[in-house]
Amino acid sequence: MLCAGIDAGSRSIKAVLLDTDTGKILAAGVSDQGVEQERLATELFDKILFEAGLERAQISGVIATGYGRNAIRFADTTITEITCHARGVHQLAPETRTIIEIGGQDSKVISLENGGRVRDFAMNDRCAAGTGRFLEMVATRLNMNWSTLSELAHQSQKPALISNMCVVFAETEIIGLLAEGKPLADVVAGVQKAIATRVAALAGRSVASPVYFTGGVALQPGMARALEEVLACPVGVVSQPQFTGALGAAVLAGERAARNNL
Amino acid sequence: MFAAPRKLSLADWGERHLQLQQAGRREPFYGGPLRRHVELEKDFRLEQLQFDNSPAALRLWNFFLTENSRLHQARTAGDKIVGTMKDLGTVPVMAYALPGVRAFYPDGAWWTPCLMECSDKLLQQAAAMGVDASFCPVRAMLPAFENGEHFPKPELIICSTGAVCDDFSAIAQRLEHRGHPVFWWEIPRRRAPAVGETSCELPGKLLAPRSQVEAVRAELQRVADALGQLAGKSLGDSALTDGIRAANHIRQILADLRQAVYSAPAAPLPALEMLIAEMLAIHFCSDRPEAGLVLGELLAEAQRRMQQNQFVLPPDAVRIFWVNPVADLRAMNLLEDVGGRLCGTDFMFSHALDLIPESLPPLEALARTALADPMVGPASDRAKRIIRECQTYDAEAVVISRIPGASHCAREGESIREMVRQELGIPVVEMEIPPVCDAMLPTMTSRLEALVETARNKAKGLKPNSL
Repeated sequence: MLCAGIDAGSRSIKAVLLDTDTGKILAAGVSDQGVEQERLATELFDKILFEAGLERAQISGVIATGYGRNAIRFADTTITEITCHARGVHQLAPETRTIIEIGGQDSKVISLENGGRVRDFAMNDRCAAGTGRFLEMVATRLNMNWSTLSELAHQSQKPALISNMCVVFAETEIIGLLAEGKPLADVVAGVQKAIATRVAALAGRSVASPVYFTGGVALQPGMARALEEVLACPVGVVSQPQFTGALGAAVLAGERAARNNL
Repeated sequence: MFAAPRKLSLADWGERHLQLQQAGRREPFYGGPLRRHVELEKDFRLEQLQFDNSPAALRLWNFFLTENSRLHQARTAGDKIVGTMKDLGTVPVMAYALPGVRAFYPDGAWWTPCLMECSDKLLQQAAAMGVDASFCPVRAMLPAFENGEHFPKPELIICSTGAVCDDFSAIAQRLEHRGHPVFWWEIPRRRAPAVGETSCELPGKLLAPRSQVEAVRAELQRVADALGQLAGKSLGDSALTDGIRAANHIRQILADLRQAVYSAPAAPLPALEMLIAEMLAIHFCSDRPEAGLVLGELLAEAQRRMQQNQFVLPPDAVRIFWVNPVADLRAMNLLEDVGGRLCGTDFMFSHALDLIPESLPPLEALARTALADPMVGPASDRAKRIIRECQTYDAEAVVISRIPGASHCAREGESIREMVRQELGIPVVEMEIPPVCDAMLPTMTSRLEALVETARNKAKGLKPNSL
């Protein structure tokens, strides 16, 4: 059976086409989020269908997740990103007990029970200091490509201390650090550590292992290292971490379609 | 007159009110269509709420929303008005023990901007007076005292100090500096009795050292003297005993209402009306006898619906225990919109819900009640009570809401969350709810939906692939 998951996140839309019988991802795509969410999601969906050589009529079920999920009217139903990320990560790494998901504008820590069911979760409040937006701001300020930040951070000898818990004020702080002549690598590593610290605070006192890191920010290898240092435990990164929400939605769409066919 | 339970918008309530009038419903002097509170007092937030459709709910809302005008009427009739702040439920019991004295809750003025959206500008005025958004919304009381456009200026303001939150304390001190008559009494931080120290049992299954109870009793004697002086009549044991009995009458109705609604197989009354009903415990919404009648009618409505197997929400709604009052009332509607129902609360004044011991000398009983205030003790005491009540009412999940700027215990939510998770293993979500939460609604919706989804799957014992 062929199913799709659409993750309409705050910064980007992700879509996954899944063969639920084999568990193989047939196609996946990402596009920037915008005002016309449904049009953007439709275009992305059609694009990955085309890439996979499929047509809509061949798709047995579509589930939308993410902040913009209710705008995706072509989906059969919606499920929250907490459940979808949990399902997506469980599909890729069934042993997972804690998921750290850092997206463009929010971060989440999801605790899983044995078997992958969500036990509990925590999400950041309105400040963007623990999210990918912080890294985006730094990349823009440093006139760098977002994806090269990690390489730079890896060269750091002594990460700078970013004391501000607010992205706006942290930007001022970063300008000050650079003006003082602080190495660029130390500043970027400091930002990664600040994000990791913020996310670790969300996790509370006990983090059950194994811990997996997902979401778009997990594409930066330096972030996983920063999380490992703060949490004092190994942090794995699932493959294609930006797609776990959409993948979970596709898996759930398959299960829903199978139940409906019974 | 009675209709199947459902929630109505403000516009729908206009038609419903007309139907009730035509059916011969007689309303109290503060009754009338709900829309007038928007038209006359600019309570725009009411337009965004969903209300229960019962006559009892109409009475509750009209009682709640006419407090200021009822206070002005009482002043005109010669009553003495006392502002009681921070103790949330002890001093009002004493004030109402004296004839011709009414206590109200000025630091509850933050409810005004909650209902009035931004039209009233109280929060902006507070900022202009140097008390900005880094403070709790109780800052709304500062301009409300100054402009006199809400409650009448009280003859006496009684504030507790000591184990109270910093924001409130700073604002109350500012009030005193601006010439408002503040009478201070001290409440210590409650501690567990040391080994060998004589202890006293407090309401809510708490213990405190005898010495703390005695200290608070002495402070409350000073309060009683000040109230007596204001009323021109001594506030002695006999009057206090009667006052405690009358307060307990209302607390008992509220206890019965909570028990009925929170233990019912489905919700007979919505979360929002339960929040407002519980708030009446603090100071009886400025009219003790009427508060009893309002709550009594609400209880009767809940019982009637349960007898007829009529509920306002579907039976599969997830049972949620809610911690802390919300700064935007829409949150209570939202909980139900995403498939939850209220099955217990701790709005930070649980000591105002407990019966005051009638077997003790009255000031001793009141001192013990004041010391049982969840805000004067450690967060772990509060968490233990929440855990007990979650067990009693079979809660499937817990929401801990936070009010931006409120500083009574910055880490309290985390402590409660950890203890509930450990003891009960049910999901707990913490979320900040600002006074006007429009920008936060998508985030709040998402969290509550995820909580309901998680609890529902857990209850079904489903594997992740069986959603």
